[in-house]
Amino acid sequence: MMQGSIQERLQISPFMAAYVIVSMQIGIGVLGFQRIIAKDAGTDAWISVIGAGLTIHIIVWMMYKICETVNGDILDANVYLFGKIIGNSINTFFIFYYTVTCAGTLGGLYEIIRTWMFQSLSPFWFGAVYLLLGIYIVFGGFRTVAGTSFFGMVIPFYLLFSFGFALQYGDFTNLLPIMDHSFIELVKGGYHMSLSYLGYGILLFFYPFIKNPEQSKKFVHIGLLSTIFIYTALAVITFAYFPLGLLEKSIWATLEMWKIVRLPIIERFEYLGIANWTLIMLPSIALSLWAASRVTKRIFHINQKKSVIFIALVCLVIVVLIPTRERLNVLFNYTAIVGFSLAYIYTPLLYLLLLIKKKVKAE
Amino acid sequence: MKKSCLIVTLLLCLTILPGCVEKKVIDDVNIATGIGIDKSEKQFLGSIMIPVFKPDKSFGNFTFKAKGKVIRDLVSEMQKKASQPIVSGSLDIALFGEDVAREGLINTLDVFLRDPSVGARVQLAVVNGKAIDIFKGKYGDRGNAQYLTQLLEHNMEQQNLPLTNLHRFLAAFYQKGMDPYLPMLKKSSRNLVTISGLALFKDEKLVDILHENKMYYFKLLVDHHTLGVVKVKEAHGESTVKSIGLKKNIRLKGRNPYTFSIKIKLKGDLTEHQERILEKGEIREIENKLAQQISKECKMLIEEFQRKNIDPVGFGHFAKTRTRNFDYKKWNEEYKNAKFEVSADVKLIGHGVVE
Repeated sequence: MMQGSIQERLQISPFMAAYVIVSMQIGIGVLGFQRIIAKDAGTDAWISVIGAGLTIHIIVWMMYKICETVNGDILDANVYLFGKIIGNSINTFFIFYYTVTCAGTLGGLYEIIRTWMFQSLSPFWFGAVYLLLGIYIVFGGFRTVAGTSFFGMVIPFYLLFSFGFALQYGDFTNLLPIMDHSFIELVKGGYHMSLSYLGYGILLFFYPFIKNPEQSKKFVHIGLLSTIFIYTALAVITFAYFPLGLLEKSIWATLEMWKIVRLPIIERFEYLGIANWTLIMLPSIALSLWAASRVTKRIFHINQKKSVIFIALVCLVIVVLIPTRERLNVLFNYTAIVGFSLAYIYTPLLYLLLLIKKKVKAE
Repeated sequence: MKKSCLIVTLLLCLTILPGCVEKKVIDDVNIATGIGIDKSEKQFLGSIMIPVFKPDKSFGNFTFKAKGKVIRDLVSEMQKKASQPIVSGSLDIALFGEDVAREGLINTLDVFLRDPSVGARVQLAVVNGKAIDIFKGKYGDRGNAQYLTQLLEHNMEQQNLPLTNLHRFLAAFYQKGMDPYLPMLKKSSRNLVTISGLALFKDEKLVDILHENKMYYFKLLVDHHTLGVVKVKEAHGESTVKSIGLKKNIRLKGRNPYTFSIKIKLKGDLTEHQERILEKGEIREIENKLAQQISKECKMLIEEFQRKNIDPVGFGHFAKTRTRNFDYKKWNEEYKNAKFEVSADVKLIGHGVVE
C-alpha cells in the first residue's frame, strides 16, 4: 500500500495545498455561472452559492478521511477496496476524466478569446502553445505545478477590484425580497452552482504530495471558504448590476461587467482581463495534465514524461474537433455530470465502503 | 541538452506566434466614435463619425453614410466606402432620430450588446430631428464625438441631466416595472448642440418628451445623487440653489391601492440672490419655498407618468422588492390608481462668500 509514498524533497508545504485546490476550482465557470444559477433561483441564487459551497467542506472532509485510511491517494483506495483488476479499471477512468476536463477547460478558454479578442484565432496553434506550456510545467514535477497554482492565484488577484466599477451602476434592491423562491428552486440553483465549484477532487490525487497532511486541512478549508466568498461576492455584484432579463442574455456575465470599466490608460478593460485569465487557467490545465499522467504512471508504469505528451496530444485533438459552442456545451455537460457524481455519489460511497472494510478487517 | 532544446522551442513559439493573430494598428483603422441612426422611408439611414487627425494637431470630422434594413448591413455598406477598416472599440456616442426612437430601439441596441468591443458606457441620446444633421456641424476643437459625449457627461455629473448610458438604458429596459429614459439633443446653431429635454420611453418606444425645465425634479426622483441647479421665487425676488446632497427615502405604505411615500432631503448652497442683502429669516423662507416647490413638481411629474402609463422612476420594481410573489400583470392595472405622497425638506448650508 505504500506504493504512493513520496520523497520529502518532492512534497509541498501544507498551505500550498489550498492554492492547488482553489486554482483548480476557479476557471471558466467563474465567467458565466450567474446566468445558470439564476435560471432556477433568480436573485436568491446567492443563497444557493453559499449552501453549495458549504457541502464541499463535508466532501473534502471525506476525501481526507479516505486518503488517511489508506495512507495514499484514491488509486490506492480503489485497489485496496476492489482488488487490483476492478480497482485499476476504475482508476483508468480517471485518466479519461482528467483528459476531457483539460480539453474542456482549454476549449472554453479558446472560445472566450475567440469571441472577445481574436475572431480568427486558430484552435490548433493556440491549443498547441498552451499545452506545450502545460507539459513544460508538468515536467518540472508536482512542486512546479503547485507553484504555478500559487502564482496563478496571487498575480491576477487584483482583478477582483475591477468589479468595483460595476458597483457604481449596481442596484442592490434587485436582491429583494430575499427568499422569494421555494426551497426546491434554491436546491436546483445549488446543484448548478456545485458544478462551478468542481475541481477540489484533485485532492484525492495529490494527497501523498502534501508534507504534513494533517496540518494542510486547516488551509484547505480556508481556501474553500475563500472560493465561496469570491463566488458569492461575484453573484451579488452581478445580480445588482444586471436585471434578470438582461442576465438571461449574458453568457459571460463576469466578463460583461468589465464593459463598464473605463480607465484613462485602457479603453477596453476586457483585453487586460482576458489576457490575465489565461494565467488563471494555466494551473487548471497543468493540474489536469498532471493528474491524468500521474494515474497513467501509477497504473501502467509508463514514464510520466511520455504519458503527459500523449495526453496533451489527445487534448489538442479534442480542442480542434470542438470549435463550436454546441459541441463545447455537450462536453461541459458531460464533464459536469461526471464530476458531480464523482464528488457527491462516488466519494461518500467510497468513504462508507472503506469504513466497513476497515471494521471487517479489524475483526 | 534536452531541456534547453525545449526552452528554445518554447521561446520561439512565444515570440513568433503572436504575429499570427490578427492585428489592428491604430494608425491604420478608422475609429468610429459616433454613430447615428435615422429613418429614411422604410430603411435605416446610418451615419458613422470618424475623427480625422490632421498634421497640425487639429481635428477634422468625417462621416460615412449608408442605407440598409438592419444595422450590421449598414456597417458593411460603409466598410465598402472606407479605405481603412472601421472599428467600434472606441465608440462614445450613439444618436437616434426621433422617428427611430418612436419605433423602438432594442433591435439596434442588441447589436451593441452583442458586440464585445462596444463598451457599456456608450452615451445614448435621442435627437430632436435627424441624427445626421447633428453630425454635419463642427463643434468644439476635440472632434464632434468628444464634444457631444462631454456635453452629456458634464451635465450628468454637475447639472440637471440624470445619469444615462447604454448600460443604464438596457438595465432599465430589462428591469420589470421600470421604463428607460434618454437625453434629448437639439442642434441650436451651426456649431452648438443643446440638451432640450428628456425622452421618456414605454418599454423600447419613445412616448413622451419631458421639457428641460422639469429635468431637475426628474433627477431628484431617479438618481441617488444630484448636483443640479434650481430656481426659487419668493417675496424677496428670485434665487438659485445648487443642491450638494440628496437623501431619498421611498416607502411602500399600503398595497390596496398602492401608496408610496417619497421623502426627499436636500442639502444645498444658495448661489444667487436677487436682493443684495439676505435678511434675517430669509434663508428659512427660501428653504420652505423650495421644499414646497419640489414636492409639488415631483408629484405633478409622477401623476403625469401615471396618465401616460410610463414608470421611469421604477415604482413597479420598488413595489416588487417589498412584496413577496409580486404579480407584474396586476401591477400594470394598479399603477394607474396608485397614490403618491411626496414631501421635501431643504437645508441651505451655505450662501457663498458674501453676507
